[in-house]
Amino acid sequence: MKDSDESERRFIERLKERDERAFLELVALYQARVYKLVFRMLGEKHEAEDMAQEVFVQIFRAVDSFRGDSRLGTWVYRIAVNACKNRIKYLGRRRADAQEPYEEREAPAAARFATSSELSRPDHLVEGLQLERIVQISIAEMDADFREVLVLRDVEDLSYDEICEITGLPEGTVKSRLHRARAMLKAAVERKLGETIA
Amino acid sequence: MTDSNDLPNDSEGERVTDDAIRTLVRGALGTAEDPPDLTRGVQEKIRVRSRGKFYADGWSTTKHPPVTTYLVTSVLMLVAMGLIYALLHPLSGEPAPARPPEPVRVLPGP
Repeated sequence: MKDSDESERRFIERLKERDERAFLELVALYQARVYKLVFRMLGEKHEAEDMAQEVFVQIFRAVDSFRGDSRLGTWVYRIAVNACKNRIKYLGRRRADAQEPYEEREAPAAARFATSSELSRPDHLVEGLQLERIVQISIAEMDADFREVLVLRDVEDLSYDEICEITGLPEGTVKSRLHRARAMLKAAVERKLGETIA
Repeated sequence: MTDSNDLPNDSEGERVTDDAIRTLVRGALGTAEDPPDLTRGVQEKIRVRSRGKFYADGWSTTKHPPVTTYLVTSVLMLVAMGLIYALLHPLSGEPAPARPPEPVRVLPGP
């Protein structure tokens, strides 16, 4: 057994014993990754912060059920993704029309989307921001199952094996969902943009 | 649900489109803001939901021990004790001088 496996096993034991300091270490270790994933899934800052906290509360409550079949990080991701999907479905039911994703994102951060060469002219900057916004809106309109694979693969850069572990889906399903998600996104962006992309 | 019948073709055109979409998605979602510190919020939620069973003592479970708080509290206690001593000492007065014992007088017997 590798040292890292052994230390992770000991760490999990401490978590199962409800060691408060161990849990704080877990929060410190994963909070950035969990928050970013949740933010990308939900698209709203305050919602993401609250949801990320909820994810850690769920982990605290459910750590006894962690059997060690996967890495701790994968399990954390799985809880985060499932929590987000439930939240998206809940929000979709409650305020289908009122959702304003990415409303609080600042323009400079958003502007990083376009490459530096694209940003060399002000009109290109505006076009880049507009396109980015359209993509964000289109992703926010997407069904949670498709959004999930799109974020995990195209933004989080996870392997298909990792995505399968997190989602519990077979690889074929993950690939086909990803393909459909990209096609849906392309169609939605082109519809909003009024021109073809790529 | 398995929908592996819809697996994508690996044609060059589709691959290029997928790459373009991937770049778009990464550009639109890849620059998530710096995450806030979630520790306090998580602690609070667990404390409330466990009805104080966990994280009851906020001080001892923070990431960094509050050394400054301990130091300031100690110094304030020392100052308070010094003040109390300075106030009460003049009121206490001097102890009565010790008198040497009287010599024992042996009475003559009957």
